[in-house]
Amino acid sequence: MLLELNNIFKWVTQGGSRIFLLKDINLQVEEGEFISIMGPSGSGKSTLLNVIGMLDNFQEGEYKFLDESVHSMKEKNRSKLYKEYIGFVFQAYHLIDELTVYENIETPLLYKNVKSSERKALVADMLDRFNIVGKKDLFPSQLSGGQQQLVGVARALIAKPKLILADEPTGNLNSKQSEEIMQLFKELNQAGVTIIQATHSETNAAYGSRTLHLLDGGRNHI
Amino acid sequence: MIRNYFKIAWRNLWKNKGYSFINIFGLAIGITCASLILLWVEDEVNFDQAIPDKELVFAVPTNQKYDGEWRTFFQATPGPLAAVLKAEIPEITKSARKRDIGYLFNVGEKSVNSAGSFADKDLIDIFGLNFIAGNPKDAFKEKKSVIITQKIASIFFDKSDDAIGKNIQFDKKETFVITAVVKDFPENTSFTFDWLAPFENFTDGKEWTQGYGANFTDTFVKLAAGSDVEKVNEKVKAILPAKTGDAETEAILFSANDWHLRSKFENGKIDGGRIEYVRLFSFIALIILIIACINFMNLSTARSEKRANEVGMRKALGSGRKQLIFQFLTEAVLTAFISGIVSLLLLIALIPQFNLLIDKNLSLAITAPIHFLPIVIITLFCGIISGLYPAFYLSSFKPIEVLKGSRRQSGSASFTRKTLVVIQFSISIIFIISTLLVYQQVQHIKNRNLGMVKENLIEMPAANGDIIKNFKSIEQELTSSGLVESVALMNSQILSGGNNTSGIDWQGKTTDADILISIRTVTPQFFNTAGMVLKEGKGFTSSEAVDSTKVLISESFAKLMATDNVVGNTIDYNGQLLTINGVVKDFLYGDMYGTSDPVMFYHQAEEADYMYIKPAVGVEINKTLAAIESVLKTQNPGFPFEYRFVDEAFNERFKSEQLVENLSQIFAVLAIIISCLGLFGLSAFTAEQRRKEIGVRKVLGSSVLGIVKLLSKDFLVLVLLSILISVPISWYVMQNWLQGFAYRIDIKLWVFAIAGFSAVLIALITVSFQAIKAAIANPVKSLRTE
Repeated sequence: MLLELNNIFKWVTQGGSRIFLLKDINLQVEEGEFISIMGPSGSGKSTLLNVIGMLDNFQEGEYKFLDESVHSMKEKNRSKLYKEYIGFVFQAYHLIDELTVYENIETPLLYKNVKSSERKALVADMLDRFNIVGKKDLFPSQLSGGQQQLVGVARALIAKPKLILADEPTGNLNSKQSEEIMQLFKELNQAGVTIIQATHSETNAAYGSRTLHLLDGGRNHI
Repeated sequence: MIRNYFKIAWRNLWKNKGYSFINIFGLAIGITCASLILLWVEDEVNFDQAIPDKELVFAVPTNQKYDGEWRTFFQATPGPLAAVLKAEIPEITKSARKRDIGYLFNVGEKSVNSAGSFADKDLIDIFGLNFIAGNPKDAFKEKKSVIITQKIASIFFDKSDDAIGKNIQFDKKETFVITAVVKDFPENTSFTFDWLAPFENFTDGKEWTQGYGANFTDTFVKLAAGSDVEKVNEKVKAILPAKTGDAETEAILFSANDWHLRSKFENGKIDGGRIEYVRLFSFIALIILIIACINFMNLSTARSEKRANEVGMRKALGSGRKQLIFQFLTEAVLTAFISGIVSLLLLIALIPQFNLLIDKNLSLAITAPIHFLPIVIITLFCGIISGLYPAFYLSSFKPIEVLKGSRRQSGSASFTRKTLVVIQFSISIIFIISTLLVYQQVQHIKNRNLGMVKENLIEMPAANGDIIKNFKSIEQELTSSGLVESVALMNSQILSGGNNTSGIDWQGKTTDADILISIRTVTPQFFNTAGMVLKEGKGFTSSEAVDSTKVLISESFAKLMATDNVVGNTIDYNGQLLTINGVVKDFLYGDMYGTSDPVMFYHQAEEADYMYIKPAVGVEINKTLAAIESVLKTQNPGFPFEYRFVDEAFNERFKSEQLVENLSQIFAVLAIIISCLGLFGLSAFTAEQRRKEIGVRKVLGSSVLGIVKLLSKDFLVLVLLSILISVPISWYVMQNWLQGFAYRIDIKLWVFAIAGFSAVLIALITVSFQAIKAAIANPVKSLRTE
């Protein structure tokens, strides 16, 4: 078992009444799964991913990651945990504008204190694998959306995470680019990486091994 | 990792050239300014550093009590004091007298004017003279020995060694033998001299120098290491009253550490001095640095939204807060270091100008660690001070908020920003107000009615050579030429204090009144020459013999006497009966800010030290000077033609006020420039941030003026607030400063109005530049970008 969510509730209070962002979410993810989360805008897809990614808190419920209780963990240990095991891919890529492709991919390794020579080798491998060696010295603004997302995925993978969280990874891409990225996810999954993606698109959802439907914070169908 | 930080810092600087320029340039101005001030401070606090065991060396001035107040006098100890101090106080190991005098030196054909001193042998050890040629032991062996400085030696001889044993003529009369050459004093030395010769040369043949009756010499002493200065000072104080029976004159110890910085005496005790300016300027340097740092803080936090994405992403990628703080600090320090380099260039360019301004000879000497380190430290200080707040602020962003795009400018940061802008502008306005008031005060004093006419009045030394002997013919030749209106002699400089006495009695003087009267000996044309007004009675006749028992007195002296009609009354000066022949209106001398003591004038040429010449009206001054020079060439042969104008001498009196005026002007301008740079950056940022809003407003029909108003209003409110804060502070501070002057201006309200108005105007121009730019932009463009 990679992670387990039990009765997760997350809400904000507005005008004295609670508005639920997540309502009684239960989810178990095994290593090697490829899960798609679907639902309309505002249904809590991103919130759920952020909770899983430990970027966001929740009010009630239990969250176990690799048998450790995330909900009772301190901020510091939590960030250590996601730094170690989780990679993020965002709809808006969120590459750092001032860094080159190479440096963007390298950044997570810097924060893990990986040695310089090892970093070089790992980044070079990654550039090779994604066929972007020729673009390593370009800045994000010099790349197309699809290429930027490719770099985003490469950056998410560089630290060898067990889990990739992708929030609408193809939301800003055209259909051809989109297909390439999904194909890439599929290959990664086959190589053993667990993936959870949030998506609007049925086509993209179909790449996953199972689909989770969210409706107004609650799960209505697996 | 650190390389990565530098890289991203550099790229950020490069990408936002405008902001980087404001940051770097603003900080560079601040660092330059602080460095210049520190150089000046260093020079000031290092005064008299050449004196060995400086803490053991003391000058001995005297405190004299007049009207219940102690007044402190220099070069005013009696002849025997030095020897008595050494003999009777065991802690005093060395003591020496010193009397300053100027001579014309001659060696062969060459001649030069030089100011030096007759002194006792111990002075060599007390001042720690550095011998280049000759030795301290034999330097004063003979009475007619003289020690000269390198400066003098180099005028007459090729090598210092050549000077030893050579003859040197004093005023073409007496011949001295050079026994030693010593190193020149550093420029920051309180007591300097070009030569030293044994004290007997001054005292021999002068009976009055032997007793306690005349206070005529400086005295210096050196204590044994480990002496209790306070105890020794008590013993020194007791000596003169014990010898003379007069408890109202006592000698005191005045430490070499205080000679330069704490030389103002109030009622017999040290009461500040230049140290106040040193403190003030150091404080101002710090303030300027801080307002420069504020720019950096404000622009960094204002632009935080641009960096927020990066912060969020880095956190999601595993960065801790500490690492982000460190990253942003690195950026600030890098910026500061670039500013440091820029300011080094500025320093190199500006130091010569600065030297002119403050009349010093400072050098950057950047390789010396004592100069290099402070600049590095200042730079680091700036980097850290200005980087700390942005670093903590930026690194506090929650990744989730940032990445979701839900983060808006938080209120606390914009409040801090506004506060900092108000601080900047308050300081700037305080500087502007102070500058105006300092300027007014200096002008006020310069335009003070002196009771004489200083303009065009020529002053030249008359003590040496034949001027006094040939005065009648000099006067005759000059006045008959038509180029000169009148000529006169006086025994002291017209602007300075000189001889004085408390030994004058008059009818109706209360016996216990102890009043100091200045004594001036003049020739008859003096009052006419100096433009002084005879109020009652008559002036002097042309005959000294006829006038031998007549005196003129100043108005304030006349007021001391009980009667209305003082002319014809007699006064008693140490037993000598003198008739008051006339009353002269008061004139100002000595302390230009205070009121001068009453004066009594004699008719006597013999004791004169200075000659005064009033050029004829309407004659070109160069012609007059040439005529004087040619007359003196024959009447005073062998002496160089030296003169100065009294109004120039007068202006020189205000050096430290002039310094404050000049520096405060610079500070005010710099503070305003730095603050406006910051405001410019902030307004650019606001305009950029509100681009969309402006676009929408324009589409909805707002005029350009309306938009400019909208954007400028917020900043103007801040400037107005700054005016409210700065007015009372500057009023209080300047009122305190002005208290230090007896003759001073009243603070007028319009000064505040002008300062406030100009601050508003400058801020308005700065802000509206950006506002107009934003307002006239095509709304279609700004709306399309989303």
